[in-house]
Amino acid sequence: MLNYIKVEATRMLRNKRYIIFVVAFPVGFYLLYSNLWGGQVDEATGVKASVILMVSMAAYGALAASIMSTAVPWSQERQSGWLRQLQITPLPNWMIIVTKLISSLLLVLPALLLVVLAAVITQHVSLSAGQWAALIPIMWVGTIPFAALGLIIGSLVPPDTAQPLAIIGMFGLALLGGLWFPVDMLPETMRTIAHALPSYDYADIGWEIVAGHAPPASAVAGILGWAVVLCGLAVYAYRRATVRG
Amino acid sequence: MNAIALADVSKSYGEVLAVNGLSLTMEAGRTVALLGPNGAGKSTTINMLLGLIRPTAGEIQIFGHTPEEAVARGEIGAMLQEGTLIPELTVRELIDFIRRLYPNPLPLDQVLQMADLTDLASRRAGKLSGGQSQRVRFALAIAGAPKLLILDEPTAAMDVESRRAFWGSMRNYAAQGRTVLFATHYLEEADENSDRVVVVARGKVVADGTAAQIKAGVGGSVVGFSLGGQSAAGLDALPGVTGVEITSGTVTLRTSDVDATVSALYRKTTLDVRDLQINGVDLEDAFLALTQSAEA
Repeated sequence: MLNYIKVEATRMLRNKRYIIFVVAFPVGFYLLYSNLWGGQVDEATGVKASVILMVSMAAYGALAASIMSTAVPWSQERQSGWLRQLQITPLPNWMIIVTKLISSLLLVLPALLLVVLAAVITQHVSLSAGQWAALIPIMWVGTIPFAALGLIIGSLVPPDTAQPLAIIGMFGLALLGGLWFPVDMLPETMRTIAHALPSYDYADIGWEIVAGHAPPASAVAGILGWAVVLCGLAVYAYRRATVRG
Repeated sequence: MNAIALADVSKSYGEVLAVNGLSLTMEAGRTVALLGPNGAGKSTTINMLLGLIRPTAGEIQIFGHTPEEAVARGEIGAMLQEGTLIPELTVRELIDFIRRLYPNPLPLDQVLQMADLTDLASRRAGKLSGGQSQRVRFALAIAGAPKLLILDEPTAAMDVESRRAFWGSMRNYAAQGRTVLFATHYLEEADENSDRVVVVARGKVVADGTAAQIKAGVGGSVVGFSLGGQSAAGLDALPGVTGVEITSGTVTLRTSDVDATVSALYRKTTLDVRDLQINGVDLEDAFLALTQSAEA
């Protein structure tokens, strides 16, 4: 299984689309935005924009990484017969989806850490050891619902459809979840939708941590709820996709 | 123990019966060709042997186990009709990944050499030609050193030279005491590369034996001559004749007794027989005769 994870990671790191969307975009936007507004201070919390942007862009990068590393590759593998090739080896079926999930978690790390690194180096962002220790692992594990969403897309639709769906899902979740600009700027109804999204809960936990607060229970409950629902659907969709007729 | 035992296996998709009560056993160590036209049920049968499709009825055993168990034990390797590779990985990475999934795989260098891929080992799969990809897929099939190797129309996308090299590799693998089953609709391939040919049509076995036995079973020879504008009435009543075909003034008689047919043609008819030709049935004729009668 370790070898399978290694193979999955290798192929994604060689994929240009992954590198552009997942690694270059968030770091690039972080550098741009933090140069423009990095010095501003949020009045409610007293946190500098360079810190809030770090969380937002890290959240975007992590979200993009988990969806991009799952939806399209998985859909292609089903369609192209690679899945069948695996199904006729001694590799058990359940191990395929578990590996996909673990690999997607691994592939989130470069996106997450590079934005943080850029923030620390260019904007001299500093947090307490306790804040770092809470922020990084939570933002890492918090991508599980997004990886599950990617696997659902990959299990249900062919690659031609999975590609736009993944991109819409990725940008939709990022935009509406307040990763690109604050949710408070949205009109009332949009704001209600935004608050219900896993991407908002996910980033909100990060924002609260850098503001020195404990993560709000509603956000934690929200993301756990989404994780359970999406993982359940992912397993269902996966079983449907690999069923032996 | 039999490598493969299919007992009265059927598979239907809704109304369509893809495999219709197929029974077949295959000893270990043989190379068997599954020969049939498109739509005969070859791929369905192969997918059932691999546990990718469940039969609607009947029982399948591979080395005494269910297909799923045999796959889990690493006893089967297969090259399916469709299957692309992961474009970002190199040939070596792909083969090594698959072989490590098996309990007792072949050494990596040996797999590369047997599939003639040593020079391409570092190339990414996305940059291979069609024929090269096929060789990688063959390598993936043998990498785990399976006791049973199954190939579903393996040479479909290959040119003549690649085909020749491919069958060389296959025989090389089979020569190590392993069992090989391959599906093809190329008669020549079945004849040259197997020691037993199983002909299937419409989901059933219609003939089973060596290539020579199958030719013989269809019955002797073909007698042809130009008929011109003369009437063909009574030709089917000549001694030995089992079939009459007339195409643009040329008659082809299929016969089980060529001497009796030719003798009667001259003595008992008033026809002006020109351009007489007598030929033995080749495997292609045998194949057509068998599969057409199954469809009638």
